[in-house]
Amino acid sequence: MSHGRGKRSDFGKDTGLQSRMLLTMFLLGLLYVVFIGVLIAVGAGAGIIVIVALVMLGGQLFASDKIALATLGAKEVSPAEAPELHGIIERLCVQANLPKPRVCVMDTSMPNAFAMGRSQKSATVCATSGILQLLEPAELEGVMAHELTHVINRDVMVMTLASFFATLAATIAQFALFFGGGYGNREEEEDIFIVIAVSVAVYAISFLLLRALSRYREFAADRGSAVLTGRPSALASALLKISGTMDRVPSQDLRKAETMSAFFILPARTKKSLMNIFADHPPLEQRLAALERLESQLQGAA
Amino acid sequence: MGLRDILTGRHTVAGPAPDRLFAISTAYIALQSEHSIDPSGAAAIVFQALATSEFESTLREMEEVVRATGGDSGTTVSTQDDSFGYRWMVLHNPPATPSVEDLAVGINAVSGSIETAGYGDRLLCAVFAFVDAQKRPVYFIYNYKRGFWYPFVPVGSAKTNERSTERELQLKAQMGSELPIEPELERWFPLWGIPL
Repeated sequence: MSHGRGKRSDFGKDTGLQSRMLLTMFLLGLLYVVFIGVLIAVGAGAGIIVIVALVMLGGQLFASDKIALATLGAKEVSPAEAPELHGIIERLCVQANLPKPRVCVMDTSMPNAFAMGRSQKSATVCATSGILQLLEPAELEGVMAHELTHVINRDVMVMTLASFFATLAATIAQFALFFGGGYGNREEEEDIFIVIAVSVAVYAISFLLLRALSRYREFAADRGSAVLTGRPSALASALLKISGTMDRVPSQDLRKAETMSAFFILPARTKKSLMNIFADHPPLEQRLAALERLESQLQGAA
Repeated sequence: MGLRDILTGRHTVAGPAPDRLFAISTAYIALQSEHSIDPSGAAAIVFQALATSEFESTLREMEEVVRATGGDSGTTVSTQDDSFGYRWMVLHNPPATPSVEDLAVGINAVSGSIETAGYGDRLLCAVFAFVDAQKRPVYFIYNYKRGFWYPFVPVGSAKTNERSTERELQLKAQMGSELPIEPELERWFPLWGIPL
């Protein structure tokens, strides 16, 4: 998608981020190939693994968004019920050349927003009533553009596929622990031990890689939002506002929201983590710095 | 969007589609003669106004160009920002001689200079205002990203945000051979509170 003569076509380009993302995905892929290789080598029933894998994958891709929306208590709203939100999303859809997603509102004071759905056609964007009250239209537009960029980039699909083998590894480790020990000859027990060890290792490493990937996709969505709206500072202001009120949130909402944390604009928990490698969102300061760079790029100063 | 763009999360805003804006300058004849829908003498172009000094100076130059070219036909230009932060550049014909051709030329001059300045991806749409025989407003909206037109018929008061989908579908059937109409109905995005 290039439009040659526009001198602004470089705006928002970040080759470094893209190569880090590709590297992470490459490492994940490598890890999974080794994992499958070990499983087959010790003679685990390949047929069973494939069937379990396909069922799990299908379930995740087709049902997870509906389940999540239902658990979170998000309700679809009509244009008459939320004219401003619909207006913002409609304009952004024209701008991004995107079919309009379903628009949901979650009734909670916690200011947040997220996007779901495996494809552009089946996408849902959701905002909490808290964020609708908190933000100015331009800031809300920045947040919605961030969520729509998740839709455009098919982040739910990418993250589901990327995390799929990690989930599989965890399942296998559990199964092996429960049903593995006790009977069979010595050689079989050794095999089971190898399967458990490899599964645990695969799960641990892929967990870290997935978190890194998730952080890169957040940066990409921030950048996509800035490119879409042309107002990086409005999103920065929104992030500041949201993070400022995040701590005053009732704990019940936090726990409820925790499972969907990866697709929120800001994670539900904002306790400062000593180790950022475990976080699914980049630290706020880094996101603000990236948006600041985009703004100066836009203003022609960088 | 290719696989690589999906994997890297790279996303750019598309520039305008091939230009089919001028389809309106012939289509309105059929509107007027066959369906008694008259041009109201106003049209607007809607775009994101970037808050940069370069963009602002582009806008100022552009407004002067439109004023200069519109001088012969008496077209006037005014700008305003809506509540969503989009800028409307509104062109008015003199009421005695509404001319859709002049308006289309004016709108095209604006979009042309925005594109030449390298901001084509900021264009949202163009709106042409009409009134039907019962003096109700009928709008035709041109989506720059898609290069398609679609009708928009708001009904009721400004507060209720209702549209007559029936009327719009009738207009689609009536004008389908004259105007390149957006085939996907879910992309007939409404524009509430059109200042025309």
